[in-house]
Amino acid sequence: MNNLTNNEQTESQASAENIFQKIHYESYDDWIANFALNLSYIWKENSAKEIKNIFNQKNDKSSAIIIGRGPSIKKHKHLEMLAESNYDGSILICDGALINTLKAGVTPDKFKKFFVVSIEPYDRITKFYDDPIVDKYGDKIHAIFPTIASNSTVARARLAGMKIFWLHLLFDYNQGKKSFNYISSLMVRAKNHLNGLPAIQTGANVGTSCWFIAWKVFGISNVGLIGINHGWEEDDPIEKILSHGFENKSNSLDMTNQNIKKYTKKIFNSDFNSYCILDPIFEFYSNSFKEFIKRSPDWVNTINATEGGSIFGDRISSMKFSDFLENYS
Amino acid sequence: MKSNFKKSTSENYKEFEIKQDETDTKPLTKDEFENYILDSGAKGSFMIYRSDKKDEELGVDEL
Repeated sequence: MNNLTNNEQTESQASAENIFQKIHYESYDDWIANFALNLSYIWKENSAKEIKNIFNQKNDKSSAIIIGRGPSIKKHKHLEMLAESNYDGSILICDGALINTLKAGVTPDKFKKFFVVSIEPYDRITKFYDDPIVDKYGDKIHAIFPTIASNSTVARARLAGMKIFWLHLLFDYNQGKKSFNYISSLMVRAKNHLNGLPAIQTGANVGTSCWFIAWKVFGISNVGLIGINHGWEEDDPIEKILSHGFENKSNSLDMTNQNIKKYTKKIFNSDFNSYCILDPIFEFYSNSFKEFIKRSPDWVNTINATEGGSIFGDRISSMKFSDFLENYS
Repeated sequence: MKSNFKKSTSENYKEFEIKQDETDTKPLTKDEFENYILDSGAKGSFMIYRSDKKDEELGVDEL
């Protein structure tokens, strides 16, 4: 991809992690308020680890599909393929992909092990739950939220009839008994959840979080990915690439060749014989995800069925989604 | 190695002949990366957890 040394790449990744941490910690006070507002519900509702018992997930043949909203999901019509399949494993959907997934016919009426996952502790993701089709299927959807989730987001999911399952996001547990992770865990354990809740590594994004939940919380051995590109297609608009998907309409980056060269990289995915374009955020996500896949236990089999994107390499199997469905249905 | 992002069939790239000389690619500075995140509005998602206890970085079963 470039001629950076391993040390330079490690330093660059560490620097990106520190910047993400700094930016997120600006909202720390909001997380605490969110937790306070959620606590009475957490005591009454379920731990995410109970899902493993409900569906008896763990065996060598168990499988899950993680659904993201990367550009490949439309390009290869993966949702339509899934809707027409007899897949009987678990389906974990990134919150931003929920509405399109339901609209494509992938619904909990057909797929009983149907989960949606959120990790962002911000109000902005409430929109992912605010749609008539979510209300239509809500009472059959299992929603997994972090204890610091925005109260209004969880309330919207609850209004749709979803069954709520809770977990912690790890962020300061390394600071011991003074950490909010530790203190909040004691508060959760004070009532009903005597053994606490699972606490996950997010990998900085909801797609990677779904992958962690699939094997670490559910105990599922074979985890397939669709729509988890962590990158852009060659023919995505450059404005979309440089703005990381039009997240901010007031994007101030100049669309000059110099900036394009500075902020993007093109990589070749030899598993799928395809190219992928990385913006700095996707490069950060991709490197982190691949690190954690490499460090996962031997019994975890990560299968990229996205048919493109930037997730390939050590400990990652790649196959067409049609082959995944044939092998794991 | 020269690489060219342009696809001749794409309208999106008519104005942007994207060429990248990968041999001179340098990592963004901290300020550039931070500004990019803020400019892109990509404050969403979350942070990565690090610990001296490396197993803990993969999650905790019961906390």
